[in-house]
Amino acid sequence: MLKLKNLTFVLWGTLLFLGGCTKEEQAVAPTIANESLTTVILKATNTADAADTTSCRYKFTFDSQGNVTSSDSTPLNLKANATYAVAVQLYDELQSPVFDVSAEIKERQNYHLFFFQPTPISPANLVTGLTSPYIPGTATSATGPYLNLSVARTDHDTNNPAYELGLADKFTTGEASSGNLEVVLRHQPNAKNGTYAPGSTDLDVSYKVIIK
Amino acid sequence: MRLTSLNLLLTFLSVLAWAPDLRAQGSFTLSGQIYDANTHEALPGAALLIKGTSTGVNSDNRGSFSIEVKSGKIKISCEFVGYDSVDTTLTISANTTLNFMLRQNSQQLQEVRIRGNAEIHKEIATQNLTILQGADLDRTRGLSLGESLKSITGVTTFQTGPSISKPIIHGMYSNRILILNNGVRLEAQQWGSEHAPEIDPFIANKLEVIKGAAGIRYGSDAIGGVILVEPKELPNNPGMNGEVNIIGMTNSRLGAFSSMVQGAFDKKLKGLSYRLQGTYKVAGNTSTPNYLLENTGLREKDFSAALNYHHKNYGLDLYYSIFDTKLGIFTGAEVGSGNDLQQRIQEPRPLTPSYFSYHIDRPYQTVSHNTLKLKSFYNFDNGSKIQLQYADQTNTRSEYDFTPLNGRQTPELYLQIKSQTLDINYSHKQLGDFSGSFGLNGLTQGNVRKYEYLIPNFRNYGGGAYFIEKYSHKNLLLEAGLRYDYRWLRAYMLNDNTALIETPTTHYQASSSTLGALYNFTTQLKLGANFSSAFRVPTVNELYSNGVHQSLVSFEKGDPNLKTERANNVNVNLTYATSRVLIDLQGYYNNISNFIFSNPSNQITRTPRGQALVFNYTQANVFFKGIDLGITFKPADSIDINSKTSLIYAWNKTIHDYLIYTPANRFQNSVSYHLGSFAGLKNILISAEDIFVGKQTHVPAGQDYAPAPGGYNLVNTHLGFRISLRNNFADIDLSVNNLTNKTYRDYLDRFRYFTDEPGRNFALRLRLPFRI
Repeated sequence: MLKLKNLTFVLWGTLLFLGGCTKEEQAVAPTIANESLTTVILKATNTADAADTTSCRYKFTFDSQGNVTSSDSTPLNLKANATYAVAVQLYDELQSPVFDVSAEIKERQNYHLFFFQPTPISPANLVTGLTSPYIPGTATSATGPYLNLSVARTDHDTNNPAYELGLADKFTTGEASSGNLEVVLRHQPNAKNGTYAPGSTDLDVSYKVIIK
Repeated sequence: MRLTSLNLLLTFLSVLAWAPDLRAQGSFTLSGQIYDANTHEALPGAALLIKGTSTGVNSDNRGSFSIEVKSGKIKISCEFVGYDSVDTTLTISANTTLNFMLRQNSQQLQEVRIRGNAEIHKEIATQNLTILQGADLDRTRGLSLGESLKSITGVTTFQTGPSISKPIIHGMYSNRILILNNGVRLEAQQWGSEHAPEIDPFIANKLEVIKGAAGIRYGSDAIGGVILVEPKELPNNPGMNGEVNIIGMTNSRLGAFSSMVQGAFDKKLKGLSYRLQGTYKVAGNTSTPNYLLENTGLREKDFSAALNYHHKNYGLDLYYSIFDTKLGIFTGAEVGSGNDLQQRIQEPRPLTPSYFSYHIDRPYQTVSHNTLKLKSFYNFDNGSKIQLQYADQTNTRSEYDFTPLNGRQTPELYLQIKSQTLDINYSHKQLGDFSGSFGLNGLTQGNVRKYEYLIPNFRNYGGGAYFIEKYSHKNLLLEAGLRYDYRWLRAYMLNDNTALIETPTTHYQASSSTLGALYNFTTQLKLGANFSSAFRVPTVNELYSNGVHQSLVSFEKGDPNLKTERANNVNVNLTYATSRVLIDLQGYYNNISNFIFSNPSNQITRTPRGQALVFNYTQANVFFKGIDLGITFKPADSIDINSKTSLIYAWNKTIHDYLIYTPANRFQNSVSYHLGSFAGLKNILISAEDIFVGKQTHVPAGQDYAPAPGGYNLVNTHLGFRISLRNNFADIDLSVNNLTNKTYRDYLDRFRYFTDEPGRNFALRLRLPFRI
């Protein structure tokens, strides 16, 4: 029994020694945010003139804990009474090399759907364009100056039946006007049905749009 | 069948019942009788064992026993084949008589009552302790720890969907209650409201709940209560036995399998005993009355091993357990922004497809928890005892959201916390009418995070010292205790501007105290009162959270200047017990100053997914008060009528409003009928239960995303019986929960914004003890 007693002491000693020595917490791992999507670009090409291209960009800046510290956007300048082929490009510039998020969305197109909502600059004018893939809940009205823009998605996924995706779109402008364009990407795993409701929001940004 | 088992037992006992080697000084006679709790017949040949020694005796033809025991605290176990064994701890200071009422394994009688002139030993004798064991515990097999405890008054759960539930005691949960897993204080990421306790309830043969501030003995933080998950003591009798539990449920098509083998050696290895236990549990998508919840399956694999060596006056216990789980998170509860959440709340039912599958896809959590415990004790000849316990725990948690747009497959959040604790407890010998103990607790803990930032890396040191003394004279027991704790917490996080590691450090010190009295008016009527003052130090999330908590798109901001919470808790307990009526009434008032909670601000923060509401951790003075009432009435030996009432009221005195997420009033009423034997089946029992949970109307203004759901009524029924097998028996239990397939939502389920609660569930439980 003496042996067992000694074994007890050895066990205690070992455990106490092992217990107090690790200091792993002193090395802080960098933050990798859940959605480190930094940049969203709408690249528009005039369908009547391939040399006439324009674009706008929305960019997020994050702090070391993955929270947005600031965002800035450039406006989209479009010609009146024109049609544009628009490509939506998304990037994660925190990764090196820069990660092309739009390619990833294309790969998982059956789970994703873009929505575009023209809205007035001033919330007093609750007026929007009438023929875009609407975001439900946005107030609309038929009077007053509004952003004279309609958007149609031109690409489709491989669901059966196929639904639209929205990485490629057609923008049709009317008379000169200005307003905002809200772009929302919905993530709809196993539930995409062409409408806004299922799933959750992966991206929600807004650009100033000037048509002249 | 009983005769063979009896012979077997008597053989074991003849090995055990050797004359105890005791000096005349400081030794007394413990004597009494052992009865069947139901028929009141004497039980000859039942074993009475002194734990931690090889001493034991078996009852004679009249069920009587008599044994020499040393003075001081002793643990005894009363065992008889086919009956639930009774473990109890006594403090011996005189010749003592003690009668045992054993209850047959699967009978639904009220808690086994031990009558005699000895008090049941409890760490804090004047606080309310409720024990869930025997058949009542067997009926919860397959459920999570939180769900298992819901039958206790004053206890309910805080849920995140069907698979994650945390126990609530008297309105408090997470860090405000402590869970002791086989004597080890569970250290994990218990601050998270969707972090369920990492415990396999199959390891327990009883679950004990202390309702009220119990920080004095168990350490700071226990301002709401303590849950003790207690495995059965390892066997003393040489030989090997075990148990198999098989459970199947229709809702979620849950299957659980748990088995255990244990034994003890004799001859040269006398004193050495062991137990091996494992559980596997699998479930798929849960169904509500009208639809199934996508991705709500779970997997759980648990294993534990125990090895004890007990000699005459010293012993060494080794214990190791692994808990490993994967929990699917309902996809219909995924929201990216405040707008999404509002939209979900408007929808009458989830838009996710309704189908059954065992497959678990993102989002899900994986959690593993390893515990190593080494405990040794030494019993001095004068009756004093010293106990030393070391425990090492590693908790690893990975939380997976939907695959992010950049395609990264790693978890969104990884947290690993390693804790080492050392506890020393010394119980001094009985000094006249005084008994007591003092002790020291030490803790060191390191946390490492990866990927997202939710809480920082940290190192936490804690130290405590306590002293509890009891005075027991005739029908009166007085108790007082004092405790001091020191906590040091250093966080490690990156500074944005300098990109250097910052190490904000906080330290706290505070004392806890307890004062209580217990008076036995008669052997049937007992009144106890206890005042306890305890505190809780702010947790790391309350101090340093800074980010969007994705589950309800709330942006949580910690406050590094938070002070400790202080609870002043008064409890009054009245117990009246006769053979026909049992009444257990508890009233409590828990006043908490500097209560920490996350308060919604009117600020909105921007994320790429949209807007999130900002919540700030803040402090206020609050109180919780309530009444727990349990009544059992037996109009006849075969009928039990049971009524349980839990009333609670919580108020924030600082802002003059209610406290959010306070449990609604709860009423549970049941009737059980013991049919006896029929057609080869034994111990047949049928019962029906009604659970009524009121609507929580005491909700604070403007703090919730949606109004509290209405009250609901659930009907549960159950049929249990025993089948005799050739050398054995099997207990079978069939139950139906939510018999009427009621559609309802519960205020304390965070997924009430998204979905209804589960519908009807048929469960089949099979328990098969065996001897080898």
